[in-house]
Parts: sequence; structure tokens; C-alpha cells
Amino acid sequence: MIQFGIETEYGITRTGAEDLDVVAESIALVRATTARGARMKWDYAPEDPHADARGFKVDELRQDHDEAGYVEQDSRRTLTFAEIKSDLALVNGGRFYNDHAHPEYCTPECSTVDEVVAHDRAGERIVGEAARRLSERNGSEVRIYKNNTDFRGHSYGCHENYLLPRSLPWRDLARGVQAFLVTRQIFCGAGKFGVEEEDRFVGTEFQISQRADFFTELQSVDTMQKRPLVNTRDEPHALAEKWRRFHVILGDANMSPFATGLKLGTMALVLELLAREPRCRLPIVAAPLESLRAVSRDSRWKWELELEGGAPTTAIEVQREYLERVKSVCDLSAPDRVASVRDWETVLRDLERDPRICRDRLDWVAKHELIAEFAEGEGVSPDDPWLRSLDLEYHRIDPEVGLYFALEDGGMMRGRPREESVAAACERPPETTRAAIRGRCIEKFGDRIRVAQWDHVVLAGDQYDIKISLLDLFAPEELARYRAALEAAATPDELRQLLRKGDRI
Amino acid sequence: MPDQQQKQRDAGPSGPGGDGGGPSAPQVEKPDVKDLLKRMKKVDPDQARRYRQRTGQ
Repeated sequence: MIQFGIETEYGITRTGAEDLDVVAESIALVRATTARGARMKWDYAPEDPHADARGFKVDELRQDHDEAGYVEQDSRRTLTFAEIKSDLALVNGGRFYNDHAHPEYCTPECSTVDEVVAHDRAGERIVGEAARRLSERNGSEVRIYKNNTDFRGHSYGCHENYLLPRSLPWRDLARGVQAFLVTRQIFCGAGKFGVEEEDRFVGTEFQISQRADFFTELQSVDTMQKRPLVNTRDEPHALAEKWRRFHVILGDANMSPFATGLKLGTMALVLELLAREPRCRLPIVAAPLESLRAVSRDSRWKWELELEGGAPTTAIEVQREYLERVKSVCDLSAPDRVASVRDWETVLRDLERDPRICRDRLDWVAKHELIAEFAEGEGVSPDDPWLRSLDLEYHRIDPEVGLYFALEDGGMMRGRPREESVAAACERPPETTRAAIRGRCIEKFGDRIRVAQWDHVVLAGDQYDIKISLLDLFAPEELARYRAALEAAATPDELRQLLRKGDRI
Repeated sequence: MPDQQQKQRDAGPSGPGGDGGGPSAPQVEKPDVKDLLKRMKKVDPDQARRYRQRTGQ
């Protein structure tokens, strides 16, 4: 059983503002939302980003060098930590808050690709609606971008989380996913008209990934500087003896729901493969970090790289090896898994024939083809900054103006989630994961919420606080018991009585 | 999934480098984006220059 979710940090700006305080703007945005939830009740106490899955703790996390320039601005803020975060634990089981300098939307835990795609789109809606309200209030337009860079070497993330059994040894996991992560950008890259380094714009060439420029380590707990291919943060948000959370920070924010679904669906299958056969034979890339950048920047779209031992191969061939292993080992009986395998296979075939065939599915192809056509028609040179402005516009989440949405509305992109699924995801959690319990607790007992977290909710009882632990709530029958108790209980104390069996609280 | 509104396109170079060295190019269809291209002219060429974010995760 693998569950997953996405956390997206959005870019934010306001028309006419050259020196925008993005922290203040992000706080204002989160506070402008009308999405329902428990405000400033997030429980930070159990969070510890210093624990390393390799079995130790680091003293401190690396900060980006440019951040030193904001010390004075940040020191002038009079808000508390909780006020700066302005957390909203949502009735749909997700979370919307200010993460340092970006509005961040976290989907609830999902168990199918369709669920996570609908909830990712719901996040765009919730963030976009908050921007609309803030714009009205300020009298100037707040613009939100679902991308990963400002073209000045400042990157922000779109992270994936996968729940895995702790029994899968870290070493096998980290080794097994490496070649997959290096090469999956050929279908889940969002494309970028530019090349960057930390805090620096380097060149104007097009590459298929937004994030590949920013990864310089093989493994570490860091996320803001010297980012690693495989993040080792050991923060399971679940019973640590049984579970781990595999935190993937190497991924672009996708506008295309097809690309989002393929990104999550294929990663989940590869992780299931490793959970079933931790030491199965998989390709090992000789120079992963160099290959990551080389694949992203290859202007011929051949994506050649070298395997350990010196054998030449391509990103497509590496992906095919993973695909074949998945087909022979994983349980592919569920419809969404069948669809993931089918889409994976078809995309690899089409990328091999001609990547442009995939402009109806993949962000990097759709963006490249559209902007290249514009540049050709208008006589815009490859180093014209206009191309970066159009790149940015592709990621604008206002459906009335964003270039991606124009393609989607024109019927030119596959995989659009059904409107009723997105509308439901704005208000309701997936029924198949513990998010259903978190979300329903917030919905039903909103004014009695003391704190909320991924792995627990604390409710104010008549005499004392009642902690609903979600640490190990993954078995379908237990989840059903919790859901039934929540439906039946009129008060937190009644819920406690109903759940007492099994000592879960 | 919606059907695409596409028309035939001449086979061109396989990638942006245009060296013709990529996979053999089949006939690739492309959608009609004329209206969108007109709309793109209105995108402020300098908006990316003004766009500045702080490093995130």
C-alpha cells in the first residue's frame, strides 16, 4: 500500500510592485482565503527536519546565501511564528500556509492518481481564489505562478511524499530510485527558457526541467541549498517503527494534470517495486548529478547517459527498464495502475518517435512548441527576455489568462480532471486515507480543534483534551471504523467513547 | 479526454537544435494556436525581469 501527496510552493507577485515583500504578501494571501478549515491550529511540536534517514541528526540545515540579505527585513516583523505561518488545516484534509516566503498548498494523503490530480487542481483553485480576493482588497492584481524559479537562481519546490514500509532498507531505496529520478524529467519536466545556478542566471537555452539546475548533492536532508537528488529527511508523520515517508524534492510543478498523474503514478509503482524486491536489478547511472543536468539541457532531445561500468544508454531506455520491472513485479490489478503503466509506455514510445507528439500531454513539450512558434512568427531571438516572460505566463494559475489554461480550454491538453472531482476535492478529503478523519474532524468539530497535524488531531473535550491519533491509521478496516465513529459521534467525548476499543486514543 | 483540434504539420528537425540528428521524424500534428499566439503578444516582455522570489525549498 503506497499513499502519496504533493506540496507546492507557489510564486507570488503583484502588478506594479518592483520590491515586493514576498513574505508579507504570502501571509496576506493565505489569510485572504475563504477555504474552510482550522486557522492557526497546526501543531509544530512534532516536526523535526534534522533527522536523517541514514541514522543520524544534522545540527543545522543549509540556508541559501541570498537569504542573508533579508535578515534585516525579517527581523522587523512583529508577528509570531504561528502568525507568519498563518496555517489553515483544511476540511479537505490538506494544508494551506505561508512556508517561509511562498504560499504553499499541500494536498491531503491520496491513494489513487485520480485523487491526487483532483486535489492538486483543487489547490490551484484555493490559492487562485485567495489571490482574487487579495487583489480586490488591495486594488492591485496579485499574480500566482505554479512554477519553480524566478530565472535569477532562486528556486522553490514542488515536493512529493510517499508512505512506505520502514522494512524497505534506506540504502536499497536510495540506490534503487536514483536512475529513475535522474531520467523521469523527460516526461514530468515543466520546461524552462533559461539556465541557472544558485542565485544566478546563466544562459538563455531551453531545457526540459525547471529544477535540474539546482541539485548538487546525491543525498542530504537539505532542501534550500545544495539540494540533493535523494532527500534523506526522516520525518515520517506516521508510526516511525513501521513507516517512512519518502520525500522527493526533485520534481517540477506541473500544470498538466496528465504529467502530474504520470509523475506520481510511476514513482509510486517504482517504490512498490522496491518494497517488493529491494535488491532487484535496476540501472545505475555512472554520474547521476552530471547526467541530471545533461539530460535536462540536451538540445537534441536524445538524452544519452552512461551507466555504471561505462555502458551507454538513454533516459528512455532507463525508464523502459524500470517499466519492465514494474510490469513483472507489481500488482497492476487496480484501474489507476493499469492507466499509469499504459501512459508510461505510450509516452516513452512517443518521446522516442518524436517528442513533439507529446505536446498534448507534457508540460515541457507544450511550452516549448507554443513559445517556439510564437518566437518564430514574431521574429523574437532566442535570447530575448520575452521568452522568459512567456514561460512565466504558462504557469500563471488564473484560468482566464494563464497560457497553460488557454491550451487546456482549447482542447489541446489531455487529462483534465472532471469538474465535479475538482469541486469535491476543494471541500472533501479522499475517503480512502486518514485524511478523511482529519478533514471530518475539522468539519464537524471546527470550534473544538485544539491542534491538527498530519498524524493527529486534538479536540477539546468536556473535561480534558482528546487526542485522535492517526499515526498508524492506514488499514482500510480501521479507517472504516473511525469513519463510522465520526459519523455517529455528536461531540468529541462521544467520539472518544466510540473509538475507545482498540486503544487508539 | 477532449479531442485535440489539430492539423497536419510538416516534419521538421527533431529538436530545438535543429541538427536533424534525432529520431526519424514522423508527421507530427500540431494544434491551431493562432488566437493564442495573438494573445501572447500582449504578455509584457519585461514581466520576468521584474519577477523576483526568495529561495524556497
